[in-house]
Amino acid sequence: MKEKTKYIIISIVSLISFILLWDLVSKSGIISAKKLPAPSKLFETFIYKLGNKNPDGNTLPIHIWTSLKEALIGFFFGIVIGVPLGISMAWFKKFDKFFSPLFDLIKPIPPVGWVPIMITFFGIGIMSKVSVIFIASFIPAVINSYSGIKQTREVHKWVSQTFGASNRQVLFTIAIPSAGPMIFTGARVALNGSWVSLVAAELIASTKGLGYMIQTARLVGRIDVVFVGVLVIGVFGAAMMEGLSFLERKLVKGGRRS
Amino acid sequence: MINKTFTKDMRETWMYGILGFLVFLLVWQAACVFTNFGKIFPTPKVSLAAFLQAFVEPIGRHTLLGHISISLRRVLIGYTLSSITGIIIGLLMGYSKLAHAIIYPIFCIIRPIPGIAWIPLAILWIGIGEPTIHFIIFMGGFSQMVMNTMDGAQHVDTELVGVAKVLGAKENQIFRKIVLPSSIPYIFTGLQTSLSTSWMAVLAAEMITAREGAGWLIIAGMQTGRIENNVIGMIAIGLVGLILATLLRNAERRLCRWTVRSR
Repeated sequence: MKEKTKYIIISIVSLISFILLWDLVSKSGIISAKKLPAPSKLFETFIYKLGNKNPDGNTLPIHIWTSLKEALIGFFFGIVIGVPLGISMAWFKKFDKFFSPLFDLIKPIPPVGWVPIMITFFGIGIMSKVSVIFIASFIPAVINSYSGIKQTREVHKWVSQTFGASNRQVLFTIAIPSAGPMIFTGARVALNGSWVSLVAAELIASTKGLGYMIQTARLVGRIDVVFVGVLVIGVFGAAMMEGLSFLERKLVKGGRRS
Repeated sequence: MINKTFTKDMRETWMYGILGFLVFLLVWQAACVFTNFGKIFPTPKVSLAAFLQAFVEPIGRHTLLGHISISLRRVLIGYTLSSITGIIIGLLMGYSKLAHAIIYPIFCIIRPIPGIAWIPLAILWIGIGEPTIHFIIFMGGFSQMVMNTMDGAQHVDTELVGVAKVLGAKENQIFRKIVLPSSIPYIFTGLQTSLSTSWMAVLAAEMITAREGAGWLIIAGMQTGRIENNVIGMIAIGLVGLILATLLRNAERRLCRWTVRSR
């Protein structure tokens, strides 16, 4: 126990000295504040951006809301369509044989690669982003629910069949619950991919959102705003992952529930 | 009997596979012919012709293969650097509790930031050019590499370490003979995921800052309204992604036979 508190103290000291060093380097001009703004300056900018539209036309909360909305809509549709498709591909052989080759075609294309085509189709509005994120979350959702179902223990299936379960019962009471953890792993990969490709899509062409904010701030040379944007992207990415883990703990419970 | 059902199964696989592919092509063709979709999007035939032509005729400054090899070289540099540093830092944090206590809180600040989000900062820091792209690829793969390696080094069988200590092994012997080998499967998982994010990062970086490469090819296709270039680029990107992933999986099978998990 004492050992543990020692390491926690070291961690805190390390973090504080990192920030102090950063502050020192920036304020003393070893690295100019134009390249590395001091942490205190970043905090000021953060507070300023909360209510001010300069330099990119929208306040920080609006950018965050836009990005979150696009990411979550795309993610939602990716999961809602991807998971059932993955499950049916794993359960129905003919389905699998029909869709697998097509799926293998689009699987290796990184979601970012879809950005230009989607912009051509849908313009730079919300639709193009949502469809890129849809693809980003659809692919891992299919892959993981597919392999989750495929990894169902044969013994469990046999037992249920011996007791006279129908094919549908085996699927819904054995295969899908036991694939739960795998499906959630897929959802986590999907959420991560959504956030990454959203930032990319917004960097490339957009009028709102966190990616747009950092891109515009770069063009006008406001590195402090870029820094704030990048950190906010990190924080919200991490927060969404935490939310999903929380949901998983509530729903799956170690995969033990029937 | 078994042989017969096997071949029947194979035949069905091919039949349904080809059927699925044909339906896909038909829908694509029909969409081009009968709807507005055809005004902006090339038919399958035009796309295929353009794809083959791109091997000999340059688009922009290079042919298709030229663009791909430029992107691959960038990935190779950024990915090698991020893998090496990621493995070193990951091992350090996984093995030494002190290093973990010092580095981990700082690492946690940058860990959730996607590699792509570094693009504007990298441009402001380094300017436009090769090093910026390498940096973005580096950041794309780095945190995954660290996390996976650290995970591996932390999951070493403590009994093995105990036995080694009883038999009088030194710290660096324990590290080299026990910690390192048992982290290798985790390191390979890291190498695989980080390669695919690196491939994605190079595309995004090229779309925003470069004048050549696979990412530039598809964004230029969009900007000049030549969607067939876009389609070609995506086919090529998909193929390269597939080849990279297959290569690494085979390398893993070769190099650490003792731990390959069933896939």
